[in-house]
Amino acid sequence: MGKYVVKRLVLALITAFIILSLTFILVKMLPFERPIGGDAQQIAYFDKQYNLGYVYRFQAVKSEAFEAENNAKFGEYLYRSPVDRGTCFYYYKVPVLEQYVSWVRNVVTRWDWGYSKSFQPNVSASVIIMSRIWYSMRLNIISVIFSVPLGILLGIWAALKKNTVTDHTISTMVMIFISVPSFVLISFVLRVFSYDLGWLPSSWPADTSTLATKIKGYIIPVFCLSFSSVCGYCRFTRAELCEVMESDYLLLARTKGLTRRQAIVRHALKNAMVPIFPSILAEFIGILGGSMILENLYGIPGIGKLFILSLNYKDYDILFVDMAIFTTISLLAGVVLDLSYGFIDPRIRMGAKK
Amino acid sequence: MAEERLFASDAFQLVHTEEKIHDKKLETKPTTFFKDALKRFAKNKSSVIAAIILAILILLAIIVPVASPYNITNVSTSEKFLAPKLFESGTGFWDGTRKMKHVVFDTVNKVPAVSEKYTVDALASSLVKIKVDPEPTLIDSANQYGKNGLVMLATDAAIPGKDVYLNSKSVTFTAAGNERIHVVLDPEEDVQGSKLGEYKVFLRGSDGTEIMIRDFSSDYSEIDFDISAALKEAGKTSFNAQVVFEVKSTADVFRYILIKSIETSGTGSNAEKIASINFTDATAMVILGDKNADGYWACSGRKGIHNSEIYYCDYTIDTYQLVYGNADKVTYSATELKRWIDAGWCSYDEKVGPESFVRLTDECPIDEVVSQSVNSRTKKLNSITGSGYNFRKLGYKTMPKFLFGTDASGFDLFKRAFAGLRTSLILGTCTAAFCFLFGLVWGAISGYFGGNVDLLMERFCDILGGIPWIVMMTLFILHLGNNFFTFFLALCMTGWMGTAHRTRTQFYRFKGREYVLASRTLGSSDIRLIFKHILPNSMGTIITSSVLMIPSTIYSEATLAYLNLGLQGVHSFGVMMSNNQQYLGIYPNLVIFPAVVMALMMVSFNLFGNGLRDAFNPSLKGSE
Repeated sequence: MGKYVVKRLVLALITAFIILSLTFILVKMLPFERPIGGDAQQIAYFDKQYNLGYVYRFQAVKSEAFEAENNAKFGEYLYRSPVDRGTCFYYYKVPVLEQYVSWVRNVVTRWDWGYSKSFQPNVSASVIIMSRIWYSMRLNIISVIFSVPLGILLGIWAALKKNTVTDHTISTMVMIFISVPSFVLISFVLRVFSYDLGWLPSSWPADTSTLATKIKGYIIPVFCLSFSSVCGYCRFTRAELCEVMESDYLLLARTKGLTRRQAIVRHALKNAMVPIFPSILAEFIGILGGSMILENLYGIPGIGKLFILSLNYKDYDILFVDMAIFTTISLLAGVVLDLSYGFIDPRIRMGAKK
Repeated sequence: MAEERLFASDAFQLVHTEEKIHDKKLETKPTTFFKDALKRFAKNKSSVIAAIILAILILLAIIVPVASPYNITNVSTSEKFLAPKLFESGTGFWDGTRKMKHVVFDTVNKVPAVSEKYTVDALASSLVKIKVDPEPTLIDSANQYGKNGLVMLATDAAIPGKDVYLNSKSVTFTAAGNERIHVVLDPEEDVQGSKLGEYKVFLRGSDGTEIMIRDFSSDYSEIDFDISAALKEAGKTSFNAQVVFEVKSTADVFRYILIKSIETSGTGSNAEKIASINFTDATAMVILGDKNADGYWACSGRKGIHNSEIYYCDYTIDTYQLVYGNADKVTYSATELKRWIDAGWCSYDEKVGPESFVRLTDECPIDEVVSQSVNSRTKKLNSITGSGYNFRKLGYKTMPKFLFGTDASGFDLFKRAFAGLRTSLILGTCTAAFCFLFGLVWGAISGYFGGNVDLLMERFCDILGGIPWIVMMTLFILHLGNNFFTFFLALCMTGWMGTAHRTRTQFYRFKGREYVLASRTLGSSDIRLIFKHILPNSMGTIITSSVLMIPSTIYSEATLAYLNLGLQGVHSFGVMMSNNQQYLGIYPNLVIFPAVVMALMMVSFNLFGNGLRDAFNPSLKGSE
């Protein structure tokens, strides 16, 4: 089993590496965008890029002959610093594949993921991510805490009252709400609770606002985030529990004299939880990701919002790191989901041939 | 005990004494897998309803963009933000009226103060209901619809010695005129976090001398000062001077004084002249500032307003009447009139005048001519002034009716929504069709052959599938631009793997079955085995998943639009919704209507898909 876990993790790591490599190359192939700011900032940025191995730097006397020669060799220079003591610095783009080699070296040896160019000039990507990831995480942790018990309880309730009005109501509501796109839901909630009733803030409160406002600011995002997962868990739990309730061993449990409550709590629920638990674990990994739409519409400064911001700023280095996070999270969630099945359910032998 | 026979033995006779028993033809009709699925699908009521709704939505998406006469391409700002209208005006529901709450009331024109440039007449004639607050609301900012209030003269820094001044324009006071100045101050304390300050009032002459009216004090009582007497005392007959208020600045807090009104009085012809520095309406004084000679008061500090009275109102307005309603006295040039006459819309004789106007067709923008203007020298017609309905001027034959209202560009939201939906549906169907075909072939090969081929193909899927769709879409859009083809390509890239995976699983399930073995023994080729024997069995699940790809494509497209990566160049549902998101507060119909259409679409698709899945699931056969 240990061997299988290691194998899966290594495979996921290889997959992640290949995907990130492809993404890196594709991002680097985009047309170059100049960093913003004055000469000092530009020089600082390009020197950092030079140290990371993404640009060439030449110190030369400013001359057209030099430019013509090197432009022919490396393509148009990215930046030319102002003349200082007779010479200036020329920065040229390194071919993408060589940049890729540098990138691998930088990440492996120094854990250096590059620097922002225009969004927060010259701040390292990891610093930007770290300053934002906490917002996304906090929000998602709260929403998971709310949605998991609620969803499971609703599911259990529906399953126990199978084919009654309660069940039909819950199932229909779940069906409808699971189909409603998140931005539609957010629009409705904002309209009703922020604009019409005025109970809740219509965007994420600033860091300086009072504690009460901050807490109020959590209600809409948490509600919108929990909504679909509550529906998902409810549907899943209901389906699983219904299946278990019709199984022979539950009939046996009842026949040997257990009350309905005992049979359900001791036998049915435990078994029904087997496929549900892994998905909860996977969701816990997913909490890092946050919801891009929600963060964008509600103005939450998380990493989902960062995705949009870096896109708008054309700050592709930051965009790449953000993409890398989303990719890693989704891969990790998949692995955890697969592995946890085996840990929870002894009947599933992981890595077994047949 | 003897048995009593119920039947005589000759009541029975043996069948099949002679004839042989053969297989008989089935008397029930044979059914196919799909017929059976259809029958079971028809039993599922909610799915059937969903299918009907879906069909209606799809039909609308096909018909509306073609059939609707309204405009969704040329920006027409005069028609923006019309309310949704289904019923005739006056029914009170969905009738093109809009309720607005807490809007500043224009007390002069007796209409709500709206930022759009509508004429007062149009506003007044379109008001259905208006309720003005009985009591004014006091605000501390200068509003052009405000009244009264107090001028607040405040220091703009808490620095000692940096006093601020409020001075009138220079006027000439005379000793003979019995001239007085009357200043009303307000002693209210702690306004806007500042403190009442010490102040002085004096006349600052253009010759450099000063006459004190009230020296630095904290006495905020009314000032009634006899200027003429003071001039006599100073030995002047006339004095050209400004009235100046000075507020003493202190180190601790901002200081202020509140002035309610300034009035001068006197006798003789000079009284009117010196009255030009008067003000009784502080709000008007602050707003007009140096624009108006009467209110010219310059300030070296902050000249603010305190307790300006404005009235708020709640009103209901017929937006169609407002935009398309009667427009009186609109001037049209002679060339425009000539165009109408040439087109045969109306006839007009400029020599006779307005009475000669005859409206011939409905296209004619005006109903009647009120007056005409003729060049006095050439005796040629310059222009006519007429009245008529605005909608004719905007090119409509009858009053338009926008079911969902119009958006910021004056586009019909109903047509736009369904035009967007059409794009989404085309995109979704194309993607689903491609993914279906490609995934099927891929999954079939992978599942049928197994082994190393399968392993390689699976690893490829792992890598491609490991890229989150948002990342994939973003990369595609950044490289290829946000056009229809890019979206199609990117959605296909992420979409086919689901179908491929499902097909592969089905193939693993069925490829070892006896019927496949039997066919293989008879010498069937791989192609025949795949397409004739295995595939039909797994078709149901695969079709269901392909149908469900359409809503997920629509969802993806809309999501991207919310992330500013929307489809450009075609009408896109997502782009429309995300653009309208900013009006959620004021014009909720712009978001709510499309949202309802979207939600309805999604719910129907999912219910329909669920029904399809159940119908195609052979294990559920006969369980109902």
